[in-house]
Amino acid sequence: MSDPFHDWPYLLAAITGLTVITVATRSSFFMLPARFNLPPRVERALRYAPACALAAIIAQGVFTTDHHADISWGNDHMWALAAAWLVSLRTKHMVIMMGVGMAVFTALRMWV
Amino acid sequence: MRPSTRLLPTIEKAAFREGTRVMTPLSIAIGVWGLVTGVAMVNAGLSIPGALLMTFTVFAGSAQLAVLPLLATGTPLPIVWATALLVNLRFVIFSAASRRSFVALPWQQRLIAGYLNGDVGFALFSHRFRGAKEHGTPEQYGFFYGTATLNWLSWQTSSVAGILLGGLAPTDWGLELAAYLALLTVLIPMVRTFPAISGVLVTTVLAIVTVGMPMRLGLLIAVLAGVAVAFTGETLKARRAS
Repeated sequence: MSDPFHDWPYLLAAITGLTVITVATRSSFFMLPARFNLPPRVERALRYAPACALAAIIAQGVFTTDHHADISWGNDHMWALAAAWLVSLRTKHMVIMMGVGMAVFTALRMWV
Repeated sequence: MRPSTRLLPTIEKAAFREGTRVMTPLSIAIGVWGLVTGVAMVNAGLSIPGALLMTFTVFAGSAQLAVLPLLATGTPLPIVWATALLVNLRFVIFSAASRRSFVALPWQQRLIAGYLNGDVGFALFSHRFRGAKEHGTPEQYGFFYGTATLNWLSWQTSSVAGILLGGLAPTDWGLELAAYLALLTVLIPMVRTFPAISGVLVTTVLAIVTVGMPMRLGLLIAVLAGVAVAFTGETLKARRAS
């Protein structure tokens, strides 16, 4: 069959390998023996990994359009994010932050 | 029951509930990406059974999205797998960062916990137990499985919805922005100190300028550089204080 998506041996092999890769990467350091210790400096540095990972995901989602950097007046997502951040200086209430962000986005889309 | 044959560690119920509560608003973000990934799978030409099989086994949205165009053209499997491996490299960093809490478990339990340790759950867990003196407590496992369970449920239900709806699913309602705003609410409380601020700024700038790189390698580079800068900042701060 010419369509690889209906070539089941190919697809099943691909999916099996992809599943192994998910498990292998996500559990990689969990599987090393318990006596193995990361260097303390590395462990300390890794405390910043969650914040940096979130920042990277947000930045690529908000400050880019079609895989290009987009820091322009016309980037509505950027202004919505900025508004939500400003709100966070006053309140940490999640629903308020998200509500203000979405409201700014909607307003920019409708009127600008 | 012999402990080594159980698939889940002992968990504290109150912490499980706390985990689901903390995860609840973030399931918006997970749901949006699940929907987008489900739609992308069928739009790329994958059959409904194939897409369902993929979502319930591979369970890694960014890797799924990255390999779809490769699978559509029948790319040799080693290339497909290498691509997924590169996209998933950030999970290796996550597993190193949360290793201490899981390493004492039997191997089956470590495999399962790892499989469920996605981006959002990892961030919530690390923040909740930052500075913990004890690792691998029933409270920590309860919280972890609370977030992981809800994460899995929101991801799979929204993926299935995307797969079944296909082109009919709404994808341009500003839903993706809601997802990023949800992540922002998790990020902000983490960024309070000089090292964290400098690391996050460097990560942000690098993530933007490297977004054109293939296989989401820019994400990995940005995170590694940010972590390095934050750690350098912490070291400098400690030196000045002493």
